[in-house]
Amino acid sequence: MEEEDQRKVTDLVIELVRRLLSQQNSQNPNLNSPHFSQSLRYALRILSSRLTPSISPDADAIAESIKRRLATQGNSSDALTFADLYTKFASKNGPGSVNNKWAVLYLLKIVSEDRKTAKNSMDSSFSLPNLGLNDDEMGNNLRVLNGKDNREKGWKNGVLLVSKDPENLREISFREFRNLVKEENEVSEEVLVRDVLYACQGIDGKYVKFDSTLDGYALSDLVKVPRATRIIVRKLCELGWLFRKVKGYISESMDRFPAEDVGTVGQAFCAALQDELSEYYKLLAVLEAQSMNPVPLVSETASSGNYLSLRRLSVWFAEPMVKMRLMAVLVDKCKVLRGGAMAGAIHLHAQHGDPLVHDFMRRLLRRVCSPLFEMVRSWVLEGELEDIYAEFFIVGQPVKAESLWREGYRLHAGMLPSFISQSLAQRILRTGKSINFLRVCCDDRGWADATTEAAAAAGTTTRRGGLGYGETDALESLVMEAAKRIDKHLLDVIYKRYKFKEHCLAIKRYLLLGQGDFVQYLMDIVGPELSEPANTISSFKLAGLLESAIRSSNAQYDDPDILDRLRVRMMPHNTGDRGWDVFSLEYDARVPLDTVFTESVMTRYLRIFNFLWKLRRVEHALIGAWKTMKPNCITSHAFTKLQRAVKLQLLSTLRRCQVLWDEMNHFVTNLQYYIMFEVLEVSWSNFSNEMEVAKDLDDLLAAHEKYLHSIVEKSLLGERSQTLYKSLFVLFDLILQFRSHADRLYEGIHELQSRTVESSSNSRDKSKSSRQRKDKSSEPGSWISEGRKALTQRASEFLQNMGQDLDALATEYTSLLEGFLAQLPVQQHIDLKFLLFRLDFTEFYSRQHPTV
Amino acid sequence: MPREIITLQVGQCGNQIGMEFWKQLCLEHGISKEGILEDFATQGGDRKDVFFYQADDQHYIPRALLIDLEPRVINGIQNSEYRNLYNHENIFVSDHGGGAGNNWASGYHQGKGVEEDIMDMIDREADGSDSLEGFVLCHSIAGGTGSGMGSYLLETLNDRYSKKLVQTYSVFPNQMETSDVVVQPYNSLLTLKRLTLNADCVVVLDNTALNRIAVERLHLSNPTFVQTNSLVSTVMSASTTTLRYPGYMNNDLVGLLASLIPTPRCHFLMTGYTPLTVERQQANVIRKTTVLDVMRRLLQTKNIMVSSYARTKEASQAKYISILNIIQGEVDPTQVHESLQRIRERKLVNFIEWGPASIQVALSRKSPYVQTAHRVSGLMLASHTSIRHLFSKCLSQYEKLRKKQAFLDNYRKFPMFADNDLSEFDESRDIIESLVDEYKACESPDYIKWGMEDPDHSLTGEGNGSGTLDPKLAV
Repeated sequence: MEEEDQRKVTDLVIELVRRLLSQQNSQNPNLNSPHFSQSLRYALRILSSRLTPSISPDADAIAESIKRRLATQGNSSDALTFADLYTKFASKNGPGSVNNKWAVLYLLKIVSEDRKTAKNSMDSSFSLPNLGLNDDEMGNNLRVLNGKDNREKGWKNGVLLVSKDPENLREISFREFRNLVKEENEVSEEVLVRDVLYACQGIDGKYVKFDSTLDGYALSDLVKVPRATRIIVRKLCELGWLFRKVKGYISESMDRFPAEDVGTVGQAFCAALQDELSEYYKLLAVLEAQSMNPVPLVSETASSGNYLSLRRLSVWFAEPMVKMRLMAVLVDKCKVLRGGAMAGAIHLHAQHGDPLVHDFMRRLLRRVCSPLFEMVRSWVLEGELEDIYAEFFIVGQPVKAESLWREGYRLHAGMLPSFISQSLAQRILRTGKSINFLRVCCDDRGWADATTEAAAAAGTTTRRGGLGYGETDALESLVMEAAKRIDKHLLDVIYKRYKFKEHCLAIKRYLLLGQGDFVQYLMDIVGPELSEPANTISSFKLAGLLESAIRSSNAQYDDPDILDRLRVRMMPHNTGDRGWDVFSLEYDARVPLDTVFTESVMTRYLRIFNFLWKLRRVEHALIGAWKTMKPNCITSHAFTKLQRAVKLQLLSTLRRCQVLWDEMNHFVTNLQYYIMFEVLEVSWSNFSNEMEVAKDLDDLLAAHEKYLHSIVEKSLLGERSQTLYKSLFVLFDLILQFRSHADRLYEGIHELQSRTVESSSNSRDKSKSSRQRKDKSSEPGSWISEGRKALTQRASEFLQNMGQDLDALATEYTSLLEGFLAQLPVQQHIDLKFLLFRLDFTEFYSRQHPTV
Repeated sequence: MPREIITLQVGQCGNQIGMEFWKQLCLEHGISKEGILEDFATQGGDRKDVFFYQADDQHYIPRALLIDLEPRVINGIQNSEYRNLYNHENIFVSDHGGGAGNNWASGYHQGKGVEEDIMDMIDREADGSDSLEGFVLCHSIAGGTGSGMGSYLLETLNDRYSKKLVQTYSVFPNQMETSDVVVQPYNSLLTLKRLTLNADCVVVLDNTALNRIAVERLHLSNPTFVQTNSLVSTVMSASTTTLRYPGYMNNDLVGLLASLIPTPRCHFLMTGYTPLTVERQQANVIRKTTVLDVMRRLLQTKNIMVSSYARTKEASQAKYISILNIIQGEVDPTQVHESLQRIRERKLVNFIEWGPASIQVALSRKSPYVQTAHRVSGLMLASHTSIRHLFSKCLSQYEKLRKKQAFLDNYRKFPMFADNDLSEFDESRDIIESLVDEYKACESPDYIKWGMEDPDHSLTGEGNGSGTLDPKLAV
């Protein structure tokens, strides 16, 4: 039998050599050629050689090393597959199975390594049938050989023969050691391994149980095992503890799910964790299969093949432990978090130097962030807030259309993941807000084109799931493109369709009194009405007057839509208020412009209007006063017949009145010039420039805010200018008082004049013409009569009173004005030097009072 | 309810400058020679109804009365391209057509004779306006009709429309060349009295200065009337821009004048305009025009349309009572302040010392229908005390003539001067003299007390006792 085998082998070797040679030489080699016989001899020499590899013949060790290689090169599932296959291979015993398993494995390993090197150097095997190639062939042969060979011949492997020697001394000591171990351990290692595996699935084993006081799995104290085993079990069971935590979180989240506060991000997180766990389950399944193999003692190594010991388990568990620990940490962190906050928290852990951790986290984050990114996408492209669970970093709330822009949506800082920068978040917010604003307030549909274009430009499709974590650049570019287009579209709509500029101009013209002729007529026709007590005034009537002021001024050519929005508004009045105190104009901005012209903005416009209106009223009063004393008024009247003293008195009173008028007029006119040039026009021209460069509605709002603010501040309407404002109003009131004084003065003079004419009417026949200087009636002698004396007396008294009144007024005015002027240069918050410059252009005041 | 202004153009000169004025307004408002709005004139924002009204057929008709005692100029207008512009009912030519013979008294007397006719026309125009602001009178003070009849109209208007403003554009005769009107000083003096007493504002257009400007600034060797008149019409139209293009301020005549005339008696205004061009002579050097530039040029005497007869010492004493600059064109409002600052730094203006004063600046739009080579142009309206030298000059010329008792016979023919009653001359002289004194007083810081501490001084004149007519005190 052996002889036969031997011969068979020889035949096979001859055949092999022949084939190899024929492969090389292509023609059928001559069996008797020297080359052939040489090769045959070489082969036989290799086969019969006692050369052994330098490693110990442990099949499991080889398998382990292959597994490691697979795990490092490929993925763990390859390794697992191999482990599986190996288990099957190793467990095959009995007839037809391969005996020398270690050799086979080693061969395969060498072959696979050799393949790799062969791939690198393509033709190394061409010139010479190298050892590897021979080995390969030989391996196959061997396999066949061994398959047929039931009995282990042992001629190939010396070591094996030695280890199987029952008489060996080492074997004896091992056996003793085994007995000792069995004595020491109440529980066998296999059982412990199995218990540990249970524990790692969150199940209590026979001996390893969850100990709530320790908060972990531990070997029960009653079981007698060495301390080292106890510790290793405890260490291994950490995985179980972590698993419990992760698993617990998942199931808890899933249970809670439709209710609340898990959210889509939470779901995604759970799903990702679940996936990781199934990987883990696979591993456990393999391990569990292996755990069925008895753990051999040192001596039994070779035969038992694939078994699991606690130490082996710790190797197996090394990688899952890292992942599980990470997951547990994340679960801990995320327990109370939702949505964007959760993604942000996970993101923080992704910044890790270990590539394993880094990759793991990226994988996880991609999953976790996908709902979030989807929200961003649909928000910036469709303006939809698909956020049932309040996870998004943008929060919407139901508001009226006018406050949609300002209050409708806001950033929720807590939900903003840290990988999205604040500025990007702002942009995202604004873009979606713009879309909603367009949709709700502007009733516009053109934005859809803009977003399609934007998506095309950004290179992403508008479909769902186009974006993921790690593509922050893509997200940013999508947001930028969308923002750019949407903002432009929005501004276009605001400017063109809703005529923002025109309305601003209209407000400037009507509420800020820029349309001078209109304001004048309005002042003319509502003036008498407004002098009445406020509660007797009908706003209906005022509306009519406003209408006629529009019709008779150039305002009539304005856009009817604009004129339509101009209304009279009566402010709430107190008792004793005059119409002047409550009258004002308002401008109805309407949706969507009421986003800019909000109620508080309009209130500020109203304040400006009231101030300017008052200023106008004062100016109107002064001009009215001028009209009563205009050049050709009194000059034609014959005051020539008065006593010289009275005449001088009259002259002096009138001059004082004129000079005071001049001073007041100077003040009011220059205040007006200041308001017009330095306040209104300059602010407007800045505003126009800013309107030109505004890129989005926020810019526009800011520009308008700045415009309004600068007008309010410079018109002394600001909080900090209250003292100035008050003294200004006292000045105004004084001027209005002056007006009535001046009116009274001139009325008195007119009366005086008519009396004079009356008293001299008896001598009228003599005075053919008042211009005739040499008229007899103008002789001093003819004036000595009772009536005339009384008249002169009264005139003198009247003029004296008026003169005193005017003097008092002038003194008060001067001191007030000085106070006002003195305050101007010390204002810290506004630059009023322009005003002072105008008022004191000729240094009239600073000459009088060097302190000013 | 526009603040309508009715224009009265009286006499040869008045009608000539009036015609130029209407031409200019038509151009600026895009109104054709027939009074029809041109197709291109669609840019609103201008207010045509201050100076025009619309007939039933949408024609724009000037609120203007054309009055003369001789038909030559008016016939010229009626035969010109603009014949259909005016309302023919508003044209008054005396029946006999003999004119006033350059005699103030004749004009005044004839004015009295046709008062009813003319007042009818004025009343009709006034009734046709919603809220009449006032009247503008265009005339010369040297001839017969413009001065004499103009004077009469001033008195009548003052009487009848005492609440309305009366502004005049008064052309003062050229004093440099010997005039063919020898009695010019008489006429001037008599008219000046009415301008002082019966007008609210007199824009002085000094032919001497206009000629000088035409020669020096426009390089015309021998300026024609048409050319000097176009200067006048430029000034007139520019001074009304804020009324015709409403803005934040100065939208009515009264507002415009009130700040310019703080002292009622000193209501004579000087004008200046820059940059100047004359029709068909656009080839001027195009200068850089900035606000500062314009404002500085406006303060230069050579651009002022009133000659200064002041001696150097007096000239340095002269002060501005008020200034209003109307700047037209594209102006950045911030430039205004800068310019004012520069002007103050360089002390380019002398203002009165008895009260606060400043340069007022009104920004106004430019007509979109008139192309000009300049980005910015400016008009100055100013009350300046140096104008008293012009009046002094008139006075001295009068004195010269009066001393010789020359040409008085022509005046004695008319009732006012009948029986050799020349008191009107004396009275006028006193009034003008007191006007000159008041302007002089304005130069001192003590204006407020002027005429009061020393009553004797103020009662010079004829020296009759109290109760007599003292022009200075006739307020």
